[in-house]
Amino acid sequence: MVLCLIALPIFAVLSIFSAKYRKLTLESLDCVFRTAAFRKCRSGLDDRVKASLTGKVMRVSPRTAGFIYNNYKILSWIILIIFVWSIYGTSVGLYNYAKYGSCNGPEDTGFCMFDPAGTNTKTSEIDAYQQSEIILPALEENDPTMGNKNAKLTIIEFGCYACPYTNKAEPIVKEVLDYYKGKVNIQFKTFYIPHHNLSFQTALAANCAQEQGSYLEYHKIIFENQETLKFEDLSLLAGKLGMNTTKFDECMSTQKYKDEVQSDTLMGLHAGVRGTPTFFIGNNTLVGPRPFRTFKAFIDKEMKK
Amino acid sequence: MIFGYNPEKIRKDFPMLAKPIVYFDNACMSLRPVQVIDKINEYYKEYTACVGRSSHRLALRVEEEVDKSRNEVKGLINAGHASEIIFTRNTTEGINLVANSLGFREGDEVVISDKEHNSNLIPWLKLRGKGIKLKIVKSNPDNTFNLENFRKSLNEKTKLVSVVFTSNIDGVTNPVKEIAKLAHKNNSLVLVDGAQAVPGMEVDAKELDVDFLAFSGHKMMGPTGTGVLYGKKHVLEQMDQFIVGGETVVDSTYESYSKEELPNRFEAGLQDYAGIIGLGEACRYLEKIGQSKVASHEIKINKIISESLLGNKKISVIGPKEAEKRSGIFSFNIEGMSHHDVAKILDNSRGVLIRSGAHCAHSWFNYHNLKGSARASFYLYNTEKEAEIFVDEIKKISSF
Repeated sequence: MVLCLIALPIFAVLSIFSAKYRKLTLESLDCVFRTAAFRKCRSGLDDRVKASLTGKVMRVSPRTAGFIYNNYKILSWIILIIFVWSIYGTSVGLYNYAKYGSCNGPEDTGFCMFDPAGTNTKTSEIDAYQQSEIILPALEENDPTMGNKNAKLTIIEFGCYACPYTNKAEPIVKEVLDYYKGKVNIQFKTFYIPHHNLSFQTALAANCAQEQGSYLEYHKIIFENQETLKFEDLSLLAGKLGMNTTKFDECMSTQKYKDEVQSDTLMGLHAGVRGTPTFFIGNNTLVGPRPFRTFKAFIDKEMKK
Repeated sequence: MIFGYNPEKIRKDFPMLAKPIVYFDNACMSLRPVQVIDKINEYYKEYTACVGRSSHRLALRVEEEVDKSRNEVKGLINAGHASEIIFTRNTTEGINLVANSLGFREGDEVVISDKEHNSNLIPWLKLRGKGIKLKIVKSNPDNTFNLENFRKSLNEKTKLVSVVFTSNIDGVTNPVKEIAKLAHKNNSLVLVDGAQAVPGMEVDAKELDVDFLAFSGHKMMGPTGTGVLYGKKHVLEQMDQFIVGGETVVDSTYESYSKEELPNRFEAGLQDYAGIIGLGEACRYLEKIGQSKVASHEIKINKIISESLLGNKKISVIGPKEAEKRSGIFSFNIEGMSHHDVAKILDNSRGVLIRSGAHCAHSWFNYHNLKGSARASFYLYNTEKEAEIFVDEIKKISSF
């Protein structure tokens, strides 16, 4: 009787593809109704499943087959509970995937069966860092921004110029800025990932470019050249954008903005950032290059406040 | 060892036995040897035509093959004449033909046993609506036929005694010869349901002196949808027609018609020629092996199983304890288990195919407050090894 509750949705789906499951679906449906009315199923579907299963197991282990046969009701209830639990888990996962681009919600970057490659959640992570109290990051006047400075909402992004996932989020960031033209502003904070080559140097370089008023262009060109970037390119790219390379090189060689980079990274760590990119939209955190729809859902929510 | 009997050799004739199965559902349906399958195909490939209508060469060939089949059946049951063999679709149709053609009158009585298949119960229950009385003969406690009860059930109103020869419930064979003797002494006719008997034992219609004998092709390696009603010629000639139409009349006007000769008058419409020809081949095959050898082989398999399982307290067999009294049927229940479960488990564990349920004899099971039984039934191609597999599996199941 219990098993028909599990059989119904399974057979219903299978019957879309094969007519042979339609009869079984109707049998399961009838059984579900009768179970709901505390009556015995007429179809004998449960009994057939019980006997078939027992027979198959008996080939391997008669003792286990006997156990299954004698405890079938209890086992059915256990399977039913697991089934309901997994249906619940799958539904939550699907909801999260639709809303956040990951089964695990906005912040978790664990495995998601709907996104097995982790397209929306992969980040460049640092080693675990224990933080007793989370301090949300604050906007800083001096830090560069993308979009309208007077926008109603400013998103803070912790990113790394050497991080491929931060790079992957760039088109989404652009899409957000285009969609919410003038209404949303994004402040990019450099988060230093020690095991990434040129992570620290690119962060310094972006600050040196800002000094010469070319931050946005330089931010863009670094990401465009991320895959092949070498240290010497940092100055060459600055020159290409018409910056004063002597001044730029001096800024780099003296590590003028070392404290700024470290301060941004520390701010990220205090805010609980463990990998890049991480976005703060109001009090909400998004980890990884999430799809546009996820950003939109959070931005719309914040805009309504 | 039955002299000259080799089931392993016989099995090679049965394509179905190439599958990894232990086929123990022969009381329901037997398998077909390749000879029968080829014979059926031969009709469709080489001489597809009508009998008794067209007169071209193909029609004559079919007529010749159908006549041969009729003679094969005649020989198999030792009938007096080929015209006493009427081809039907199955045993059920044969019994219905008698029930509807014998000319019952209000007040007539029909005697049957308490172990009848629905095919030999429902036609008579239906006749009760026309004032026919049905009497049921109770069996002995071990499910064997009670001749004394039978004797008491007869009277001057008894028009027909209709009994099963070998029961499909438990395999017990009824003393048909004695039954016929008593019935004839009482001036009653005798109809025998030979569906389980003809496939697995020597049946001599003349010696038994029965007036009718109905049986099916599908239980004796013949095609499905074929059957036979044997009837004594002088009795058949007195009978009214049942289904009428094409081939049942010699001539007709808008006012009347004249009946065909036997057996055609009872074979209405275009017949299943391929099936009839295949049935003839099945008779040939069965005769070649020898029905008495088949009967001994079935009992031998049944003995192996019965002796191994009847000591098990959880297993109860329907019918007498002695395997030789149950021919090729081992009908049983395992305490605390549904018979359907037993059958399904056997199928899924080692591919042992048996039947479970009331075996179309609900009346007997209802009377005995049983929901049904698991029934293993054997035939000429089953082996001792298969019997051992069955025993092993039942032992495992009964240990649950």
